[in-house]
Amino acid sequence: MSFLIPCPHCGPRSVYEFRFGGEARKRPAPEADAAAWAEYLHVRRNAAGVQTEWWFHRAGCRQWFQAERHTVTNHVRRAFRVEEETGRDAL
Amino acid sequence: MRFEFNGTPVEARPGDTVASALYRAGQRVFSRSFKYHRPRGLLCGAGKCPNCLMQVDGVPNVRVCVTPARDGLVVRHQHAYPSLDFDWLSLAQRFDAFLPVGWYYKTFRSHALWRAAEPFIRRAAGLGVVPADPAGEYEHAFRQADVAVIGGGPSGLEAALAHAGAGSEVVLVDDQPELGGHRRYRKRAGPEPTDLIARVRSHPAISVLAGAYCFGLYEGNLLGVVQPAPHARCRERLLHLRAAHVVVATGVYEAPLLFPNNDLVGVMLSTAAQRLIHLHGLPPGKRAAVIGRGVRAEEVLADLRSAGVETHLLIAPEEVERAEGAASVSALRARGERFPCDVVVVCGHLVPDAGLLSQAGARLDWNAQVGAFCPAGLPPTMSAAGEVTGAGLSAAAPLPAPVAPHKRAFVCVCTDATTQDLCDALGEGFDHMETLKRYTTTTMGPCQGRMCQLNAIAVCARQTGRGMQETGVTTSRPPNPGVTLGALAGPRHHPIRRTPLHHQHADRGAVWLDMGEWKRPRYYRTAASSDETTCVRAEYAAVRQRVGLIDVSTLGKLEVRGRDAGRLLDKVYTHRFSDLAVGRARYATLCDDHGILLDDGTISRLAEDRYFLTTTTGNLDFVEQWLLWWLAGTGQHVHIANVTGGLAAVNLAGPLARDTLRKLTALDLGSQAFSYMACRQAEVAGIPAILLRIGFVGETGWEIHVPAECGPDLWDALLDAGREFGIRPFGVEAQRLLRLEKKHVIIGVDTDALTTPYEAGLNWVVRREKEDFIGRHALSGSPRSPRRESLVGLVVEGEQTPEDGSAVMINGRPAGRVTSARFSPHVGAPIALAWAPEAKAVEGARVEVRIRGRAVTARVTLEAFYDPEGARLRA
Repeated sequence: MSFLIPCPHCGPRSVYEFRFGGEARKRPAPEADAAAWAEYLHVRRNAAGVQTEWWFHRAGCRQWFQAERHTVTNHVRRAFRVEEETGRDAL
Repeated sequence: MRFEFNGTPVEARPGDTVASALYRAGQRVFSRSFKYHRPRGLLCGAGKCPNCLMQVDGVPNVRVCVTPARDGLVVRHQHAYPSLDFDWLSLAQRFDAFLPVGWYYKTFRSHALWRAAEPFIRRAAGLGVVPADPAGEYEHAFRQADVAVIGGGPSGLEAALAHAGAGSEVVLVDDQPELGGHRRYRKRAGPEPTDLIARVRSHPAISVLAGAYCFGLYEGNLLGVVQPAPHARCRERLLHLRAAHVVVATGVYEAPLLFPNNDLVGVMLSTAAQRLIHLHGLPPGKRAAVIGRGVRAEEVLADLRSAGVETHLLIAPEEVERAEGAASVSALRARGERFPCDVVVVCGHLVPDAGLLSQAGARLDWNAQVGAFCPAGLPPTMSAAGEVTGAGLSAAAPLPAPVAPHKRAFVCVCTDATTQDLCDALGEGFDHMETLKRYTTTTMGPCQGRMCQLNAIAVCARQTGRGMQETGVTTSRPPNPGVTLGALAGPRHHPIRRTPLHHQHADRGAVWLDMGEWKRPRYYRTAASSDETTCVRAEYAAVRQRVGLIDVSTLGKLEVRGRDAGRLLDKVYTHRFSDLAVGRARYATLCDDHGILLDDGTISRLAEDRYFLTTTTGNLDFVEQWLLWWLAGTGQHVHIANVTGGLAAVNLAGPLARDTLRKLTALDLGSQAFSYMACRQAEVAGIPAILLRIGFVGETGWEIHVPAECGPDLWDALLDAGREFGIRPFGVEAQRLLRLEKKHVIIGVDTDALTTPYEAGLNWVVRREKEDFIGRHALSGSPRSPRRESLVGLVVEGEQTPEDGSAVMINGRPAGRVTSARFSPHVGAPIALAWAPEAKAVEGARVEVRIRGRAVTARVTLEAFYDPEGARLRA
């Protein structure tokens, strides 16, 4: 594993500077049923293909962002700041 | 220049490798073979074969033919008992009938037999000896370039100049001490590219790394490059070289031909002979037989003659019958004649050195015309130049050639696999290259297939009737050539973090405890005693009876500010913080959505929009990233600052803590005015401080945070002020005992990766009525709903304190475990925190704890061992 990630703040950097945060997924609403929570907590898509995922630039800007990575080739198509694109539910 | 070989001094000339100096000194045997311990001499002379592996300055398996000779090197042979010239284990070849291909699988079918043979085999097999201590210092370096060119021959030089001319920044890597590639020793193949070298050397956009080898290509065009001895204090430097484009101009290497006794000492490849002649001024022998045909063979013959070697006429590869000789070659038998000689020069197959290209995903296609597998289908970020593409090559001998199975015609010189072995394996059904490789270990030795792969494919193709292309190559994987573990591991660098009060502790006789990177005082030696138990008891007594002071600067410290700060904390922590009054603090636990406890600490509200968080020492990074993650993308107004390094912190605790602190601050410290779980900002000893009235150790106490640079002043002032009250600094060991008596849990010590707050007895920290928080769904059931087990207190009978991790037994069966245990001076018996089944989580229940193999009775207690009502804490 030695690919580059184009950090939206710092530019392309070695993957070793980052912490992986898993696939970007939507957390169920608090009142969602047990099945939805079980799915969220225990089931992973494990996709062989492009996946949107969280990354944290530990040795750089120390910010979380999302990247679209091909899980087979490790090619990172792009990376972006969440607030500028998909957004996230308010706290 | 002089180095030592097996205790004897050897003279070396400038430009010598260790191998060439030894050759000049008359050494002909350089190693013993892996399996049969047959003597082996120089074969490739280019660092591609296993024949010259030696122990150099303690490092095993060094290729001495590419190791520059240096003054004072200590070189030893390896894998020969007692010496290279006489090796008892060479008797093994007399028993080759009992050492067939797949010997291990066929022989050791019972475990007992393997166990009996293993010690001997372990001693006899293997190559060098791994040194007990690192053989020197290693370092890592990182470098980026527009273009990396691997190989400094004419094609590599031209490629470097072309790319540099087009405005790219170029790094050129070559494994030889001088640039020029094969033209340095194949003088008749063309002129030395002196002009190209001069232009490359002087070009401002080209950096040259000579004498450095590239061992692999990794994802994202990352090249692993090793530079031996980059400076006097470094054995090897591993360079992480990343390039937008890689030009592979690695050329070709030469591989042997197959004939009986093709491994005898004195049988060498033509380029090895040419290197000896042109790079080191050494004639390889007195009388040579040259196997080969065509222009290249004529070139070699001419080189030998001009070096004063007597030569026979050229012998074509298919005319060769066998080499003869006992320890080293004495004659070559071909076309029914005997050609006496002391060296057989083999013009072998020229193999494109395309490992880096196939690692990048290139195909290798068989080209019968040039007798080589040539790279095709290169990814766009790679290109190839020169002979590595197959350009200009011609077949040394037709492949696949007829195979005469023979027990001394070696295909794989690394592991002594012969044509007989390969044919036997094929007969046993291992008729695909990848299975043949694994069964015979061909291509799996130190040379990683460079010497044997082409011949093995040819044998396989011939015997199965398939073509070379259909038989195919085995997968090339890095590293090749091998890399030392030292180079991969890099520098022996262990960061140490010291608190701002480090020197205060050192002056007071601290005995250190390593907590991650931090150094913390475990306890303090005194003039009276340096015994741990005595000192810890005295520190404990000071806190319980008078006043004590501990450095807690290692706590993680975060400031969370902004309009939505309370909302973030409500979401992430299990308790509620938006309703925390300014000037109050609250215990805080953090769970994930599985309801598992991740961390704990305190959260104080310093102002409406300003919270001050502490985390456990080891979890700071995690907590900071966890908070940032839940915040990311929400568009909420929160700013998180890690202020750990900026603050020093101490905990002043004990019944006389108030009297001590009162001398240094104008704050009203009364139990009403500054009550338990309150926080204030005020000056202490003239230093601006954050004071938290909390009590991990169970006494009246204040946690005081001040700017790091003021830490020592605060520490000294507190000790001065407390002197009249008998103050004493205490270390982590006393703190652990004090908190254990209070049954205060340490997350990660008393809890594990499955512990919920309910199981840890922390029901009160979970605000299930909150609309949402991380872990709410998992924790929405009743705290009393079925649990795995519960964290309980134990009072152990007898004198012996169980070790942390001891088993809790019920009816003789393990049913839980002790997480923390100490002898409690307050209880007068050993006490512990332990996991026990739910049924035993009852006041007064009896369990057994296994202490050093003996079951000892213990009584369950659900309350704190010390001050269960917390009266002292709140006093």
